[in-house]
Amino acid sequence: MKVLIIEDSREMASSLRDFLLRENYICEIASDYKEAEEKLFRFQYDCILLDIMLPGGNGLKLLKQIKSEQQQANVLVISAKNGLEDKVTGLEEGADDYITKPFYLPELHARIRAIYRRKNLNGSNLVQFNEISLNTNTLGVTVNGRNMEVTRKEFDLLLYFIVNKDRVLSRQSIAAHLWGDYTDDLANFDFVYQHVKNLRKKIGAARGIDYIGTVYGIGYKFNTSAT
Amino acid sequence: MKLINKFTLWYLCIALTCTVFSTVITFYSIKSKMDNAAIDRLLTINQIAAEKIRSGIEWDSSVLGRKVLVQELTNPLPAKKTTISKSESSYPGSQKKEYRIAVSSFTSINNKNYNITSFGYVIQSEHLLSGIEGTIIWKWILILSLIAISARLVSRIILSPFKETLKAIDLFNIRNKEKIQLPHTNTREFKELNCFVKSMTDKAVDEYISLKEFTENASHELQTPVAVMKMKLELLAESAITDEQALIITEVQESLEKLSRINSSLALLTRLENHEYATHEPLRFCKLINETLDFYRELMEMKSISLTKNVATDVNVSLNPMLGQLLLNNLLSNAIRHNTREGKIRVELTHEALIIQNTGAEPNVSTTELFRRFKKGNQSDKSIGIGLAIVKQICEIHHFDIDYTFQKGMHILRVGFKEINANSRLSSTAPQTEPGFPEISAPSLSL
Repeated sequence: MKVLIIEDSREMASSLRDFLLRENYICEIASDYKEAEEKLFRFQYDCILLDIMLPGGNGLKLLKQIKSEQQQANVLVISAKNGLEDKVTGLEEGADDYITKPFYLPELHARIRAIYRRKNLNGSNLVQFNEISLNTNTLGVTVNGRNMEVTRKEFDLLLYFIVNKDRVLSRQSIAAHLWGDYTDDLANFDFVYQHVKNLRKKIGAARGIDYIGTVYGIGYKFNTSAT
Repeated sequence: MKLINKFTLWYLCIALTCTVFSTVITFYSIKSKMDNAAIDRLLTINQIAAEKIRSGIEWDSSVLGRKVLVQELTNPLPAKKTTISKSESSYPGSQKKEYRIAVSSFTSINNKNYNITSFGYVIQSEHLLSGIEGTIIWKWILILSLIAISARLVSRIILSPFKETLKAIDLFNIRNKEKIQLPHTNTREFKELNCFVKSMTDKAVDEYISLKEFTENASHELQTPVAVMKMKLELLAESAITDEQALIITEVQESLEKLSRINSSLALLTRLENHEYATHEPLRFCKLINETLDFYRELMEMKSISLTKNVATDVNVSLNPMLGQLLLNNLLSNAIRHNTREGKIRVELTHEALIIQNTGAEPNVSTTELFRRFKKGNQSDKSIGIGLAIVKQICEIHHFDIDYTFQKGMHILRVGFKEINANSRLSSTAPQTEPGFPEISAPSLSL
């Protein structure tokens, strides 16, 4: 997947690139309006991460250009403003999703994958990893071809793990993914532990491999190398 | 006492004093003028009589119709050629006492000494006084009635710039960020007042705007560095690190999380104060509450908190949906966070109010203090202490009453609102809930 990161903060852009490179995405950075305009004119991208506060112009204006020149691209708007107006305008102008700074990198990745699944209809709604298969339309999970009953939260959690496989997922990032803005108050993350525990138990009961491991002090990791 | 009345009273006192003095002066000056005129006239009469005696012509002892007494003196002429005597005597043919002036002139005519006396009557002092009295009464009637009228009319005109200034101050709201507009006036005192008020409020507005801008900019500008730090830590966490380093990373992450929460809460508060969420729309509050409660059920279960809810149906409130959600989130998460293990939460929604009660430790500051930013009942807890400030601001925007009490081990938060159902009760002042729980008839849910 070819990704264009339109972001004026160099540190931010390089972090995003470093993270996405590990997913074997091809990443390019445009750090101001002009550069972005030029890159959009010259190359085609699958995914565009767009910061709307840009030096030299409003990112929302770039959206129009993207929509006319890069129809196949998925656009994820990144904003420092937690403003409803920006969100609404962004989505109206054709952005596919919206994320507010600061966010967790795995969260961003999960969003990118979700847009990708939604938009590329030739790809199925199935997310497959070894014996585990998730249907993002029906929210059904099968392990070794057999149905596994999961709650909505467990489904989201498993999908989050598989999309971000082999990555350290902090408890906060999991909480933010499952609970969204509500995590504001969740000073302890017992409930993350609870959900992960239940999920592991269910996968174990379905004779799946226990991929989910604990990372001391931080959180969890979906180990693809687990046996 | 009204300013105009004070001025009027002072003026009346001065006028009264002046009237008393001027009356005395008037009385004596008129009286002396009249006496002198009479004396002059009588002296002239005496001179004419003397001329007549000198000429030796036979005459009837009267001059110009006035009787003149002529008396031949045997003694030599006294040193004083003229004597004047004033007395009260009755007018011939009348019982009334009159004021009588007699002028005696001593003169020598043809080597004979004569005392020529004539007299006349002038107005008595009492009559003079009563005349003056009449004038004074009329004068005062005039003064009082004119003052009564002018106090109303003139004061309205003169004080109108002052009243307009007061009105402008009253309507002035620093949050509108508009400079105050004061009426033009040519009264010096009011000019000074306006000048002072204007410079004071303009300064306040400027300070307010710059403070707001600072808060807004600071929170926006902080988001990117915070985001960068969080990302770098995430990348760091994926590298080969020791357990010790992992713990440090998590602690830094948590602090950053808190920083970013404070930041976005402050930004939100600023925007609430700037009335950026002006759109109110009818919101089915009962539905929202049920949904939110479902959402928090899991958290309550984890703390073994039992929930009792009594939510009326068809409660519509004019509320911004996002703020409505925020209000409930803050109230409920507070009720959970500051609860004890195996505690209780009671949520009650009527057509007039939302009441959320929960068990919890007694706050060590007054409950009204807790609406202030960064005020916490217990300084050691992990929350940032801004939730209630946001709740209060949301209530202020929507003109809801909010009330927080602590009674018998229960924290009671009551939000009184106006329902927008036309045919339902419109009162916003529902009776205060009793401490302790009244019985519940509606379907209640225990977790």
